[in-house]
Amino acid sequence: MRNTVLVARFPKPDFTSGYQYPDVLHRVPMETFWSWVDVVLLVGMMGFVAWAVHRRRSRRAILAVSIVSVLYFGFFRTGCVCSVGSIQNVVLAMAGGDGYRLPLVVLLMFLLPLVFALLFGRVFCAGVCPIGALQELVNVRQWHISRAVTSALSFIPWVYLSFAILYAATRSQFIICRFDPFVGIFRMGGDVGMLVFGVLLMVLSVFVGRPFCRFLCPYGALLGIVSRVAVKRVKITHRQCINCRLCHHACPVDAIREPCGGKVAESRTIGTRRVALYLLLLPLLTVGAALLLQSQSDTLSMAHRDVWLYTQLRSDNPPAVLPAEVEAFHEMGRSMDELEASVVSVKESYRRLSAWAGALMGFVLGCKLVRLSLKRTRKTYEVDPSTCVACGKCFSYCPQAGRSTSQPMEQRAENGVYSNYPESRQRSSVAQHVNESTRFIKNSQHEEKHL
Amino acid sequence: MERREFLRTCGTLITGGGLASLGGVLGSKASAVEGETMWQIDPERCLQCGRCETECVMRVSAVKCFHANQVCGYCDLCGGYYREGVKELNTAAENLMCPTGAITRRFVEEPYFEYTIDEDLCNGCGKCVKGCSSFGNGSLFLQIQQERCLQCNECSIAKVCVSGAIQRVPVGTAYKLKDHA
Amino acid sequence: MKKNIYRNIALVTMAFAIAVASMMAVSWWQMRRATPLQTEVMETLKQLGEANPDNAVLSGQIRQLDLLSRKAFFTGESQLKTGGWILCAMAAVIAFCLRMYYSAARQLPSKDLDTTDEWLTKSHARRYLRIGAACLVAVGLIAVALGPISKRSRVGQAGKSTSGQVNKSTSQQVNKSTSQQVNKSTSQQVNKSTDGAASGEWSLLQLSRVATEVERSSTDGAASGEWSLLQLSRVATEVERSSTSGQVNDTTQSAQALLPEVLHAPEDSNTLNSPSVPDSPDNPGSSTAPEEPADTLPIPKLTWNAFRGNGGSGRSSVRGLPTTWNLKSGKNVLWQKPIPRHGYSSPVVNGRNIFVTGADAEGRELYCFDLWTGELRWTLRATGISGSPGEMPDVSADTGLAASTVATNGKQVCAIFATGDVICADMDGKRLWGKNLGVPDNHYGYASSLLLYGSELIIQYDNNVGARLMALSVTSGRELWSRSRTDKIAWSSPILTKAAGKQAVIVVGNPAVTAYQASDGQELWRVECMSGEVGASACASDGIVYAASEYATCVAINASDGEVLWQADDCLPECSSPVATKSRLYVATSYGAVCAYDAASGKVVVQHELTTPFYSSPVIADGRVWLFSNSGKCYIFSTRDDFRLITSFDTGENTFATPAFTDSMMIVRTDKSLYVVRKE
Repeated sequence: MRNTVLVARFPKPDFTSGYQYPDVLHRVPMETFWSWVDVVLLVGMMGFVAWAVHRRRSRRAILAVSIVSVLYFGFFRTGCVCSVGSIQNVVLAMAGGDGYRLPLVVLLMFLLPLVFALLFGRVFCAGVCPIGALQELVNVRQWHISRAVTSALSFIPWVYLSFAILYAATRSQFIICRFDPFVGIFRMGGDVGMLVFGVLLMVLSVFVGRPFCRFLCPYGALLGIVSRVAVKRVKITHRQCINCRLCHHACPVDAIREPCGGKVAESRTIGTRRVALYLLLLPLLTVGAALLLQSQSDTLSMAHRDVWLYTQLRSDNPPAVLPAEVEAFHEMGRSMDELEASVVSVKESYRRLSAWAGALMGFVLGCKLVRLSLKRTRKTYEVDPSTCVACGKCFSYCPQAGRSTSQPMEQRAENGVYSNYPESRQRSSVAQHVNESTRFIKNSQHEEKHL
Repeated sequence: MERREFLRTCGTLITGGGLASLGGVLGSKASAVEGETMWQIDPERCLQCGRCETECVMRVSAVKCFHANQVCGYCDLCGGYYREGVKELNTAAENLMCPTGAITRRFVEEPYFEYTIDEDLCNGCGKCVKGCSSFGNGSLFLQIQQERCLQCNECSIAKVCVSGAIQRVPVGTAYKLKDHA
Repeated sequence: MKKNIYRNIALVTMAFAIAVASMMAVSWWQMRRATPLQTEVMETLKQLGEANPDNAVLSGQIRQLDLLSRKAFFTGESQLKTGGWILCAMAAVIAFCLRMYYSAARQLPSKDLDTTDEWLTKSHARRYLRIGAACLVAVGLIAVALGPISKRSRVGQAGKSTSGQVNKSTSQQVNKSTSQQVNKSTSQQVNKSTDGAASGEWSLLQLSRVATEVERSSTDGAASGEWSLLQLSRVATEVERSSTSGQVNDTTQSAQALLPEVLHAPEDSNTLNSPSVPDSPDNPGSSTAPEEPADTLPIPKLTWNAFRGNGGSGRSSVRGLPTTWNLKSGKNVLWQKPIPRHGYSSPVVNGRNIFVTGADAEGRELYCFDLWTGELRWTLRATGISGSPGEMPDVSADTGLAASTVATNGKQVCAIFATGDVICADMDGKRLWGKNLGVPDNHYGYASSLLLYGSELIIQYDNNVGARLMALSVTSGRELWSRSRTDKIAWSSPILTKAAGKQAVIVVGNPAVTAYQASDGQELWRVECMSGEVGASACASDGIVYAASEYATCVAINASDGEVLWQADDCLPECSSPVATKSRLYVATSYGAVCAYDAASGKVVVQHELTTPFYSSPVIADGRVWLFSNSGKCYIFSTRDDFRLITSFDTGENTFATPAFTDSMMIVRTDKSLYVVRKE
């Protein structure tokens, strides 16, 4: 309403001295160019990491990529738009946010890491994602956290994801961007609370491998699902493995599972019954969580600015100073009916979407419970593809890789470089392995000193 | 082991199919040309609430005051340059509106003065804009300086803009200027 | 040796980094506390400079400070920037050194570490997940249980009771089902049965408990931690239960939030004749002397924020009022104080503040009295308002210059006078703004009272010229919206109720009763049925708006669509406004008749001929109808269908204003004084 008609109160001056209006040029940065550079680099780096992980089995190459990623994607491009945040853009486009066109670059940012994860595992996490790369670069120690705790904590990303979807689909907020702890570091500025949180997370990741990736990152949760069925995955070459456990202890994300089996102290029927019951509970959990979250949809909808404004306007205890939004509402001459209609539709979509978000949480919870009730036996050390971020740390720790030839590990195994190892060493019982590997460790320590 | 392999292959195919169809669906919604957007302030909706100065993720906001010379009246007593109720029209600090001294003026000819904004000094507080629109032609207006803007996925000023004046616009129309209005 | 060098470098860099970081933090903090560009010092200096334009020293100071602050600002900025880069570089150095140090001393697993039992880990993980999920659910359920409370207060003010009740009953159901579940699962624990899932309850808590049961019956060894979940859900239930009961207790106390509309007029039989009504625990007993130090006295919860109560409903949920008092002996009278200037406006009360206005040719004033002591806390004069007339407008003696009642919301209080002056103050009497709306062209004198809706101060400005309804921002006085009215002059006051699904302002004018949307003044419906000089305001109950005026009609209008339900002309008020319950409409006339209409049919069911004029409006409080005659006689009626006159007595002072109510107290304004009635 205001300013819509520009009133020239003072007439255009009549210059007699031949004054020329200055030519002001407002340049637009080559944003499009750079965003395509982003995509190209993304593909190139992921391809390089895939090669480094699956063919070279080289940690060093991945570290190099990490440094490049932190410098380019992090400090140069200041972290926007990243694949993690692109979830929200995609959701917004899917929800049919009126007038929102999904940029093709953002779509590629979202899809490409998923495609690569399907083909090669989480190579994006390995060192291409600046957030993961930053944490990887500062990580030097591994504090042991019980896997029981970490697998329970890995539920948090799903909660985060559900809310991110809810808030993005209702055009309320991009919470992943808002609560990104590292973007402030890359920009060296921004919200102080988030900066402090980011620094704390960084300090934590010196001692704990990738805390953000494991316990917060919603995109990591998606990549984990996809990489579960990855075509190529990081593998321990069993024929060469001497069960030394070094990789298991080195893994920053605790993705290398130790051999286990036979030690379950309960009968098979009870186990089966538990699995069956959790399977039965799965739909109930889904529906229950959906209903529970839906019951809160009105509270949740306060995150939407129209709803917030509406409650402020309707407030019977106005603050001593009216919020600027309220003043602006009156000043803009927006009609109350329009606002009311918007609030009604927003609340309606909140009711629908919060049920879906709740269902997602409940479903994931149920699935996690089911998975945790399944018994598995492993004769050897194995890599869990969904948690493995392909950082390659295990390669650098593997004593077998130490005696390297230029051949990749698998080839070496196939060529039978170590075929003179006694059969018992390659396929023996767990107890024997433990004994042998301790012996081996002593040897390798000895060797290291000499090296 | 074989059963597991089979299941995994199935999973791979299903996930691959899913990703492909997701890509297809989204691809139809995506656009390479129109999709590329930048943040922009619509000066006609802007109420100069002052949040541009404080809410930007950058220490010094990417929002700057722009000046449309074509619209400007080149007045001596400029509502954007001088504080309200100014007594003497000189460049003394007590008379000026801009807190950072980002507006400079140059005498052109009697009685006209040319005003220029020093973008490095401007912090986007919008005081001069308010002054100019209440006493003047409204030739001063706030605009996001795209070369400084980080193009956050969600603009943190837009999130709190009281009048919803900050929107995504296609790259081609990155600036909304008043010059040729 | 080499690795020690790395360690030392890392340590030194860390020390430096911490030093740099703390310096940056300090610098940031300083810049944040006093943004150098907008220091208050600068602003005040500039203002001073404006006041004394010739003071060269002052302008010199300003210039110096300006230069300094800019310098400080830009140095601070560049400091932060370079500091940031230095910190980043240091972090890189530290990371590199640590990496080198630790790769030189590569960690090797200790022997005893690798004996984790994966199955045990998994069952632990299951338990943590369940506990985590139960926590989330508990948070959710608590939110569900708390929802009705906050909603209730919101809904209460909006004058709608149903949804609150529905919510409450749902939460009670939830409570019930949860406690049942706890019992059930305990019994299951005894039986070790696993068929708990069959119950089909939807509650998630139940689900997680079933999971617990499964666990318990299956794993013996790992059962140690299972009770914690049960415990947790019990705690959750308890929290809910207590919050619900608290809520029930609160209902009466937090009735400030409830428009009296929510409460249907309660029965009076047991409260009147039996002395059993206890003081609510918040109020001091009768032993508490009013001379007690003021600060220890409680702040009452009930409010009466405008003419005829919150939203102009005419009802209060107050309890324990005495049915007789004596101004001479002081029996049941807490205090009585004179009001400096005369006025017909009614008192309003919020917290410990009683607000009334008074005016004469010398001044127009807003008074704030202390509820407990009667001390005049402050007086605010309506002076220095631009546009305020130097000469008082002609007003009749029975209207005066201060006939309009003030409105408050507990943070601000606004008053209007017959000169068209509006003033608004905070609770400490500090004037926030003052404004003249244009001197009313009004042959008796402007008399409509104010109404506050959220941040809007709603003013019915029906005068001979420029009749309009407007809303001003209560904080700034700026006009938010204004609707011009075709109606002729009127002296009635707006009320708030729900109409056509929206919060609405009902205005009785000549010739129409009109409902406006409260938020933007849009007209919702309009019923032309009035005539003559309209002085009585509308009232509303249960979706019906009632309006009545002498020489016109008494009309009942469906609030949702403006349909006229019935019209009657048996018993019509002049100045006194009617009040309604679900089943009755009470009207007091200026010729001495007090009538009860049947709300459904519009028939006068009971009529008392009291032969004394009534200007004050009947109000419903403590389950009774209270009414003061002009001569100061107080009549108390039953709200039952028989509308029995319970008691009446002379107070001895002429009363034209409508009383106000707060926790077990009634505030009455007579033509000279103000007094508070409270049971001793």
